[in-house]
Amino acid sequence: MTSLPAIKTRGLTKRFGEFTAVADLDLRVETGTVVSLLGPNGAGKTTTVRMLATLLRPDGGSAQVGGHDVVHDAAQVRRLISLTGQFAALDPNLTARENLVLMARLRGRGRRDAADVTERLIERFAICEFRDRLVKKLSGGERRRVDLAAGLIETPHVLVLDEPTTGLDPRSRQIVWSTIRSLVDEGVTLLLTTQYLEEADALADRVVLIDHGREVASGTPAQLKTQVGAQRVDVIAADAAEFERLRVLLDDRFEISTSAEQRTISVAAPDEAEDLARVAAAVAEDGIAVDEIALRRPTLDDAFLALTGHMAHDEDEMPSEVAA
Amino acid sequence: MTAVRSTALLTVRSLRAIPRVPERLLDVTIQPIVFILLFLYVFGSAIHVPGVSYKDYLFPGIIGQSLAFGIIGAGVATSHDMAEGVIDRFRSMPISRLSIISAQVMGQFCEQVLGMTIVVVFGLILGWNPHLTAAHAVELVALMVFAMLAFTWMGVLLGMLVRSPDAMQGIGFIVIFPLAFLAGTFVPIAGMDAVPRAIAQWDPISALVGTVRGLTEGVSSSGSWQLGHPELAMALWCLVIIAVCVPLALRRFNRTLAG
Repeated sequence: MTSLPAIKTRGLTKRFGEFTAVADLDLRVETGTVVSLLGPNGAGKTTTVRMLATLLRPDGGSAQVGGHDVVHDAAQVRRLISLTGQFAALDPNLTARENLVLMARLRGRGRRDAADVTERLIERFAICEFRDRLVKKLSGGERRRVDLAAGLIETPHVLVLDEPTTGLDPRSRQIVWSTIRSLVDEGVTLLLTTQYLEEADALADRVVLIDHGREVASGTPAQLKTQVGAQRVDVIAADAAEFERLRVLLDDRFEISTSAEQRTISVAAPDEAEDLARVAAAVAEDGIAVDEIALRRPTLDDAFLALTGHMAHDEDEMPSEVAA
Repeated sequence: MTAVRSTALLTVRSLRAIPRVPERLLDVTIQPIVFILLFLYVFGSAIHVPGVSYKDYLFPGIIGQSLAFGIIGAGVATSHDMAEGVIDRFRSMPISRLSIISAQVMGQFCEQVLGMTIVVVFGLILGWNPHLTAAHAVELVALMVFAMLAFTWMGVLLGMLVRSPDAMQGIGFIVIFPLAFLAGTFVPIAGMDAVPRAIAQWDPISALVGTVRGLTEGVSSSGSWQLGHPELAMALWCLVIIAVCVPLALRRFNRTLAG
């Protein structure tokens, strides 16, 4: 077989008591590609990657990494996979540099060799200014960079990043993204979990949407975007009566979805700025009072709505963003 | 990567934390010293043990108690350490999982040895006079090291089974704390009431205390097979503890907590 998939699961299932975290998941990541597992909190993303990294034992189905079964051949799998989780997997009482040296030595490198690879990683991940600070004293973004570096001491056959930018400030997020891009350019096979549609779009070749531990849709970002709509125009009505007028007006001319509680009407905007202008003109013409009209990127909610016809289940975690 | 090499690397990692988080050593240093002062200068004045000064009677008891409390210390530290993300990194790396636990045990064991050394030195400063021949001293150290190793394994296993460091403290207070007292630690077993006496006669910590007392004072006790043969009983207890705890700890570590 020439094209053995880097990751392949069949009917993968994990339960915690009554709760089914992952249900009958079939996942396939071809070698050299980037697949993003996209879903809200509690969708089963972390449970899935923990099973792939041999940290959790599946209750049903099977999973293979590089052709090796994660249960029966766990030792082989651990040689091939590198997982960087959403919580820093570093020793808080060691410095950034000491952590990297330790991980390198645990991977079988000698003292000098470990020091050399650590220097290269420190440079590559811009760790230099805080290399000798204890990890427990680092900021979230700094820690994440050290964490990523620790996962890349050997170039793994499969790199798994679990929500690499969740909770990071925009600047750290940019640094992490550019690091991931350069890894992707080198041809690393990557499975990336995220809650951000934007992130999956920016980094992945293929996106798998999951919810309640099940796959609900999959495709290339381009395919998903055609279905979701590249951007949207959100219009917030001044009050409930205006909301009704607005709904009637826009429903006539555009493809819309509505949220009565937030008095918001969301309009698909394939032509982006031009659509924004059209919507604004229509609203002005009829003299409807609105609080806000803004162009924005589609969120995970929009994707779920467009692809599955219902919202992601995790309502409180995903406030709809109405900023442009 | 051999298991021995990864164990050594991971043990060094745990030891590095000691000077950086020195408060973790409080339970193996300050706590026994408080007990020594309390019993030597407060309760001790009312306790009379025939044939031996209370000071010389007390220190073997304190040593046994410190060993027993080591279970709690190792358990609390382990339940704390195992919740750290870095353990997941180790578990997902191509290194032997036994080496991760062994390193945890070695790190805790070193803390116990450090604590015990402080207790013994403090005792000698206060005027404890262990009547030891060189041969007995070697035997005593060897038995203590063995016991500390077994007790540390037990603490590490408990630390992995409980849900939180607080839960471990609770178990320690409800189970281990009384057992450490019901062991001829501070007063002779023979004078106890029937029920505590029966417990003390078979309490593993009695075997420990009896061993130290036998070697330092030549005092022997009777009342149960264990009290008559403390060294043999202690060695058997330790073997049983290791035989039970090592495989259970490894099994527990391989199965995982939710997450």
